[in-house]
Amino acid sequence: MSVGLEHYLALSAVLFSIGLYGVLAKRNAVVILMCIEIMLNAVNISLVTFSRYVVPLLLTGQIFAIFVIVVAAAEAAVGIAIIIAIYRSRQSVDVDKFDLMKW
Amino acid sequence: MFDIIFWVLAAVAVGAALAVVLLRDIFRAALSLVLLFLTVAGIYVTLYADFLAVVQVLIYVGAISILIIVAIMLTREVWHGNPPGRLRIPALIVCLLLAVTLIFTVMSTQWLVSGESPKTPTTMAIGEGLFGRGGFLLPVEITAVLLLAAVLGAIVLIREK
Amino acid sequence: MEIGDFRLLAPEISLLGCVLLVILLDLFIKQKRILATVSIAGLIVSAGFTLVMWGTPPVVILSRTLAVDAFALFFKFLFLVVAALIILASQDYVNKFERFQGEYYALVLISAVGMMLLAAATDLIAIYVALELSGISLYVLVGFLKDQKSSEAGLKFLLLGAVASAVLLYGMTLVFGFTGRTCLMCIADFLQGMPATGILDNLALLLGLILLVAGFGFKIACFPFQMWVPDVYEGAPTPITAYLSVASKVAGFAVILRVFFVALGAPDWMSLNWGMLFAILSAITMTVGNIVAIVQSNIKRMLGYSSIAQAGYLLVGLATVGMATGSDTSGQSGLIFFLMSYAVTNLGAFIAVIAISNKIDSDAIDDYAGMGRQASLLAVALTFCLISLIGLPPTAGLIAKIYIFSGAVRHGLLWLVIVAVVNSCISAFYYLRVVKVMWLGVPPSKEKVPSSWALRTALAVCCLLVLLLGVVPGSFVSIAETATRFFGS
Repeated sequence: MSVGLEHYLALSAVLFSIGLYGVLAKRNAVVILMCIEIMLNAVNISLVTFSRYVVPLLLTGQIFAIFVIVVAAAEAAVGIAIIIAIYRSRQSVDVDKFDLMKW
Repeated sequence: MFDIIFWVLAAVAVGAALAVVLLRDIFRAALSLVLLFLTVAGIYVTLYADFLAVVQVLIYVGAISILIIVAIMLTREVWHGNPPGRLRIPALIVCLLLAVTLIFTVMSTQWLVSGESPKTPTTMAIGEGLFGRGGFLLPVEITAVLLLAAVLGAIVLIREK
Repeated sequence: MEIGDFRLLAPEISLLGCVLLVILLDLFIKQKRILATVSIAGLIVSAGFTLVMWGTPPVVILSRTLAVDAFALFFKFLFLVVAALIILASQDYVNKFERFQGEYYALVLISAVGMMLLAAATDLIAIYVALELSGISLYVLVGFLKDQKSSEAGLKFLLLGAVASAVLLYGMTLVFGFTGRTCLMCIADFLQGMPATGILDNLALLLGLILLVAGFGFKIACFPFQMWVPDVYEGAPTPITAYLSVASKVAGFAVILRVFFVALGAPDWMSLNWGMLFAILSAITMTVGNIVAIVQSNIKRMLGYSSIAQAGYLLVGLATVGMATGSDTSGQSGLIFFLMSYAVTNLGAFIAVIAISNKIDSDAIDDYAGMGRQASLLAVALTFCLISLIGLPPTAGLIAKIYIFSGAVRHGLLWLVIVAVVNSCISAFYYLRVVKVMWLGVPPSKEKVPSSWALRTALAVCCLLVLLLGVVPGSFVSIAETATRFFGS
């Protein structure tokens, strides 16, 4: 069986789940931010795949992916700014205090 | 030929993603993330998305990785490593279920695969899709404002009181 | 030509011009109060453009990415009013971050632009980008105080918001992959052309739909995506808490209504499914919100849980929209009326809280003891808004609940309405506790609590609207009915 649409989508699904696992399970805010980037990359793979197989002439999926990349960059910038602000106000590198994902 | 490249890239991508999540050393995790970004660019090439592959290298590998590495340095998190939280087991179950559901769904759905051969090179087509007639002009304008908001926000948050 | 379409974007463009003006003036002006005046002037101009366009026939512009219809214009006007009231209510609070006032106003306005575009966007790409525009500015505003609590709230909000938008994006991708289109009307055409098979035969569509609900569910804080609410509401600057609980939530409902009704509302097998999904989420959301609110001791957290419960009541309206078949729009108009009433009531309650906490510098409910004597007017206003949140006469809350529940009963959701009425009775308990503490508690001092004219104006406007919506609802109901006119319906 040659590689087709389903294989790419399955790869995207696996990467997305790994990213979500990292978000839920990790305690370090920077790592969580990294995992969010994994999730967005997974979505982009799906978008480009659909662009290639479903609408190969319109390229809507690739255009969508460009917007996702822009938003991801902006989110990463603001996220890192907040992480540095929090690091400053706490004057601490204690991971337990940095660990904010405990609901 | 593409098949072999795909399987190699897919294996490297999954391995790199797992490394980000599992490695104890946060700096190595960041470097695996860079590797993941590069393999994703390779995957775009196999999908005939040449422009997007370049964008991926420039923005993700060039800019976002640097941003993340700088953040790691500035917060001196390296010495504390990358420990998992208390939610590890439930998170693992949730994500395995999600992965199985997603894969089952994409495998069992009848996608409307078009027989057309893909357009290459894509740069001009994407440019027209963004700025040309019937293109996505509005989202382009909105992202301009979005970048303004992000710049304003980052400056406010990073400056001392 | 498309350039002419930009004329119809006058409200957004004028507001963006105002944002740039605020940023520039901030460089030269020492007297920062002028910036607030400029911002409010910009909001009024933009609201003026919106009002002028009210009543024009609905069109979609910019190659089907943006609709200019009664629905969009109504929400644009609502966001502009809310943003203006928030800026008025921030007047004493901004002294806490003297140096960054210009950026504060600019970000409030930018997120208002994002929400306005969100209510009008008719294309998945435009919706995603507009959602992120309002989202990113709100992340920054939540962390604006830069103290421990505020930064922590900002970080939590950003990380969870980014995850939610990634999930939403996956849902959008599946819908796009399944249909090959991104514009909502085109998706609707595609779905109507499909053989009527039922949603279980189209798993990708079902999964896309669930992920969309999950992603938007974060924005409106419905179960199980409500856990960010209490921490973020407590840590954020109080005017921003009010902004989040009102404008951001209303924007979430507006975009859900448009996406689900316009794109996924057409085949009955489709809408009945998501209608039932929203009905179940609604019952759980309101119960969780109300029960946890009872044990809160911080008024911002309590109002946070109360806003989760209110989202539950609002979801009754969405469920009704899904269950309604044919051309009945009572679900939509009920939802829009409830959103109107919720916006002014919750805003009023938060403004009263801002005014009181500016003075006593505490958000603990116990510290509100004796407010009835220390600040009679504020206490009267807060009591009035809390009564409206319970849904007692003569307030907006009562009419809104009757309106939205009667629509639900007509479409076979009697069980949900019973759950909602029981919940309203539970909610009376914690709302009235605040009232009791304020009027029967013993004040620690006889000192009066002062408040500035800006806050009083904002509070008076809210209370007046709550009263008007409750006493003469007729004209507001007809506005809500007009606002159900989408492009493409």
